[in-house]
Amino acid sequence: MSQTNSSVRSSIAERGFRRKSSGQMGAPVEKPKNTRSALARLFGYFRQEMVLVIILALAVSFSVIAGVLAPRFQSQAIDHLVSRSFSEVSGVLALMILLYALHGAATLLQGYLSARLSQRIIGRLRGDLFHKIVNLPVSYLDSRSHGDIMSRMTNDAENVSTVISQSLSSLFSGILTLIGTIIVMLSFNVPLTLLTCSSVILSIWLTKIISELMHKYYVMRQTLLGQLNGTVEEKITNTKTVTAYNLQDAVIKDFSKTSDELTKAGIIAEIIAGSMGPLHNMLNNVSFVIVAAFGAWFALRGFISIGVISAFVVYSKQFSRPINELAQLYGQIQTALAGAERIFAVLDEESENKDGDKNDPVREGVIEFKNVNFSYVPGKQVISDFSLKVEAGKKIALVGSTGSGKTTIVNLLMRFYDVDSGSILIDGTDIRDVSTDALRDSIGIVLQDTVLFTDTVRANLKYADPSISDEKMIEASALSNCDSVVNALSDGYDTVLTLSGASLSQGQRQLITIGRAFLSFPRILILDEATSSVDTRTEKHIQDAMFRLMENRTSLIIAHRLSTIRDADLIVVMDNGRITETGTHEELLDLKGNYYRLYMTQFAGQAT
Amino acid sequence: MNTAVHTAGDSNPGNARNPGKKPCSTEPLKLLKFAAKYWPLVLLGPLFMVLEVSVDLFQPRMMEVIVDRGILGIGNGGLSDIHLVISTGIRMILLVIAGGCFGILSGVCANVAGQSFGNNIRKACFTRIMHFSFEQTDAFSTGSLITRITNDVTQIQQLFMQAIRGFVRCMMFFVGGTVALLTLDLSFGQVLLIAFPLIFLDVIFVFIKTNPLFSLLQKKLDDLNNIIQENVSGIRVVKAFVQEKREEARFENANQALVGTQFRVELLLSFMRPVMNIVLNLSIVAIIYVGSLRVQDGSVAPGTVMAAVTYITQILNGMMTLAMIFQTLSRGIVSASRLSEILSTDPAITGGSYNGKSTPDINLKYTEDSPASKDPEGINDSKNAEGTDDSKNAESTNDSKNAEGTNDSKNAEDTGDSKNTEAAGSGIVPGCLRFEHVDFSYPGSRVGVLSDISFEIAPGETVAIIGATGSGKSTLVNLIPRFYDPVYGRILLDGIDIKEYDLKALRENVTICLQKSELFSTTIRENISLGNPDASEAEIIAAATAAQADAFIREQPDGYDTAVAEGGMSLSGGQRQRIAISRALLKKAGIIIFDDSTSALDLATEAKLYDALRTGYKNVTKIMIAQRIASVKDADRILVLDSGRVSAFDTHANLMKTSRIYQDIYDSQLKDSDAGDGKGGAV
Repeated sequence: MSQTNSSVRSSIAERGFRRKSSGQMGAPVEKPKNTRSALARLFGYFRQEMVLVIILALAVSFSVIAGVLAPRFQSQAIDHLVSRSFSEVSGVLALMILLYALHGAATLLQGYLSARLSQRIIGRLRGDLFHKIVNLPVSYLDSRSHGDIMSRMTNDAENVSTVISQSLSSLFSGILTLIGTIIVMLSFNVPLTLLTCSSVILSIWLTKIISELMHKYYVMRQTLLGQLNGTVEEKITNTKTVTAYNLQDAVIKDFSKTSDELTKAGIIAEIIAGSMGPLHNMLNNVSFVIVAAFGAWFALRGFISIGVISAFVVYSKQFSRPINELAQLYGQIQTALAGAERIFAVLDEESENKDGDKNDPVREGVIEFKNVNFSYVPGKQVISDFSLKVEAGKKIALVGSTGSGKTTIVNLLMRFYDVDSGSILIDGTDIRDVSTDALRDSIGIVLQDTVLFTDTVRANLKYADPSISDEKMIEASALSNCDSVVNALSDGYDTVLTLSGASLSQGQRQLITIGRAFLSFPRILILDEATSSVDTRTEKHIQDAMFRLMENRTSLIIAHRLSTIRDADLIVVMDNGRITETGTHEELLDLKGNYYRLYMTQFAGQAT
Repeated sequence: MNTAVHTAGDSNPGNARNPGKKPCSTEPLKLLKFAAKYWPLVLLGPLFMVLEVSVDLFQPRMMEVIVDRGILGIGNGGLSDIHLVISTGIRMILLVIAGGCFGILSGVCANVAGQSFGNNIRKACFTRIMHFSFEQTDAFSTGSLITRITNDVTQIQQLFMQAIRGFVRCMMFFVGGTVALLTLDLSFGQVLLIAFPLIFLDVIFVFIKTNPLFSLLQKKLDDLNNIIQENVSGIRVVKAFVQEKREEARFENANQALVGTQFRVELLLSFMRPVMNIVLNLSIVAIIYVGSLRVQDGSVAPGTVMAAVTYITQILNGMMTLAMIFQTLSRGIVSASRLSEILSTDPAITGGSYNGKSTPDINLKYTEDSPASKDPEGINDSKNAEGTDDSKNAESTNDSKNAEGTNDSKNAEDTGDSKNTEAAGSGIVPGCLRFEHVDFSYPGSRVGVLSDISFEIAPGETVAIIGATGSGKSTLVNLIPRFYDPVYGRILLDGIDIKEYDLKALRENVTICLQKSELFSTTIRENISLGNPDASEAEIIAAATAAQADAFIREQPDGYDTAVAEGGMSLSGGQRQRIAISRALLKKAGIIIFDDSTSALDLATEAKLYDALRTGYKNVTKIMIAQRIASVKDADRILVLDSGRVSAFDTHANLMKTSRIYQDIYDSQLKDSDAGDGKGGAV
């Protein structure tokens, strides 16, 4: 189990966390499953920024009012020109300048506020998500692709942020402009308003038809693009295999085929999308002519002034713009809501239950497993009726083939997972009654997966408790043989391990993790001692360090090395989640059972 | 803006090691040759665009006619002329429809040309990448190559299309609008004179301010992602040390830093538009003001002022869009140079002409160059190779000889030679491998990884390579299929320098099972038959059985037809390795290399695999890298590599007596098993 997990983990680390790129223009709209609830929860985030939201709404209203009123004055000015009352013009123009200045100021404020708002909300959203992720039970992360989780934290959060910063004020102002324009137009002339509106309705209808047509090709393009990116990623990452098996030509052929199909779909999609603009333009002009013709007719009859016509020309434009914008926003908002929904799905997961009545640290270190049963997936029993008592200060080696459940025992003891039935007691107390913090504080762990953090070596060593003195740290690193690693680094303990310590070799990393475990001064120690890719000299170092670490501690070792096994106080042989044999090395060899066979193949190197 | 952020950070031009020529400034322009085929479209696109824009520019004049003469009745005694309005209106609509058609046509041209252009570049780049040597791929880094072929291609495709359509369109609006405005009345030019510099300054200011912020933003984003990544994959450690709070604090720091930078960028960008709008709106006021003066002195009609307002809106909007295009341009140029970097990098490793079957003039060279080998043999070798019509046939027909070879090979290096002479009459079995004074160091590094490596492996021999990490084991075997080329010395396969081989033929004959099993997202069956797509069901099963994979494959939901999920994550490490081994075995090459490819197998499975190899593939030369003595001790010979040099090359029994290093390794791994020795007689 752990084997699978750790390899999955590392391969994700290598591959990064790219979700198939969807940053394309006009990407198909991804629909949230439950728009209303996602929206409602997102509003929850806005509620805490009420002041900003209100100021933003005010700023938007100002700019909309100014934007709607200005053309009115523009038409007045033209009217004055027509009626040759030039003295009036400058006054009207002054008013226009004032309005436009107000409009400008309001839009600038809008820009500031929406940037601030979006960053605050997104910062909180990300923080909440991270808080949730580190507090989720390990099983959650184990059962999901890490790439997907990363993508929620980055892509989805980014989408939400973009919509807030770019669309929120457009949304506001779009709706307000629409309402404002209609009111002002109505105040001028009702029939012309209706005419203008009908052309707009026509244009909305047109947009809808084209969008539907376009959607089909966009989806097709997006699928092909995903396929293409998948091919590129897979084939370039695995270039060694491609080369070693002479697959270049086949791969290129395959790629070209997808690429051509993509281009075809792309061309059609873009042509349809591209014709939207000219079509709208046509409609707008038709609408203009209609307005002008009827306007002239009304003017002839003396119903309206010439200036009103000029104002309507502007309004009909002003009217169609927010509608087009809203149509575009609709897609963006849907995508963002779908992203928000994915984020909320994580936030809705149940956090690990960390509570327990007891907060006292472990004193003795007596571990007892009582009839423990466990399965990761219901029906696939991993641990069956596992009972074992480990006295304080003893060394227990868990031995067994891959998949026999050794790592699962560690998962259960750390309460990364909880037992299905039975119980695990430490110093006589069920570990489910102890707070996880207290429990984990008392247990030191060295995993085969050498996880280090991007920070100084010092911070990595003092990971359990930053307040530990440097003297203790130096002492511990000497004991754990990691001083040799540290001394070889340019800045010693202050060297920053970049990229999670990728610059260090596996063996060096392992030594640091042992040093780190030393400095957590645990009562109980868990060692997963795989060092398959470490050379012999380093292995010797690691082994010495591990031995020193185990002194005076209850130690549970997943044994890979003969030396550990021979020195163990008790060897527990596991097979299919059950204990098949227990005893010391000599006792078990004499038994000539599972252990003997395992020992012969695994350690002595003979096939049986 | 997001795309800009993501691509900006991927500034890995690979020139740290300079994989290709240094891209000079004209290099990106060479990409244009990929559009050469589409020149009629490239010309027609802008032409249609010009027509469309002309219509758009002409339209305000008709509007002017409608307003001035139709509605205001200028020249008609102040009475509206509804017929004029309608007739001009209809003409205007027809014109606009024509304009719309031109616009759509221009879109068709631009799209066909632009996307085909992008498609051609994409295919050319991918083809080139597929022929890169690993050195070159490493120098570029796979991540960077992937971004280049996905993002950068999209980027320049966008740029190209914008250049055809947007640029021409904006220029037309900009220039044409200006001309039209000035022909209406020169005095409107004053407004433009003030508005232009203001907009220009606005754009420049924002660009100058945001550009450095973008890379900063990318860095902060990387920092944040790194913390998430560390926590997601290291969650057990975080929890075990009860450091959730601390990690949250660390994250919050990075989060706030990112938020701060993002805020600054967004703020700057959000100011660009409003400022432009202010300029635009004030320009309208100014136009009306100027217009009022001109109407006052009777030189223009009020309708002209309206047209002027329309024009100035078009001009300034055109200018704003132009500014956006320049931004795309700056990004597009970066993308173009990144792509031309790929295209201008010639594959470092190219094959020779020898296809493993016939022998051209290489013969001569071989005899001249080779100081170590005996001339007649060399000639013999190649003649024999000539005689062998197919390496695969040769394998199966020469069983007996190989068995012989295996026995001999334990003795000394010359056995390979002597065997060659023996086999001379009936065709040489591929798989005789010889290193001659090979030196290797990775590019850019002065430290030699391999130095003066010389040895010979006989056909059918099983050779294990053992040594500390960093001793050069993997590098050594990577030289055989020419994943890398030696810096000095040469490698001979069946007596012919591997550089003389056609790359395909060489790799046909040498198969390598990699340290990291790379599986593709297709079925298990297809993953196995990758190197031999025509393999029969029976052959596939035979290979999988030998690789100890058959049993677990059958347990999969769809057996051999089970799909391998992304990168093989649905399988365990050991399972992936065994599928990769099946694949290598099925390829039926003369030499199989196992580059530590059994590390995830337990010794029992490994032992079974080796047994299967010994019996089923005895005529194949096997080279295996391993860490465990237990895995190597049964090999015919073991090559002990120490700091890039051959320290010893002998059988297990002999090495135990002669090689200090080998004994050390042995001791550290098996010394403790004294008890085991006594009881089980294991060693």
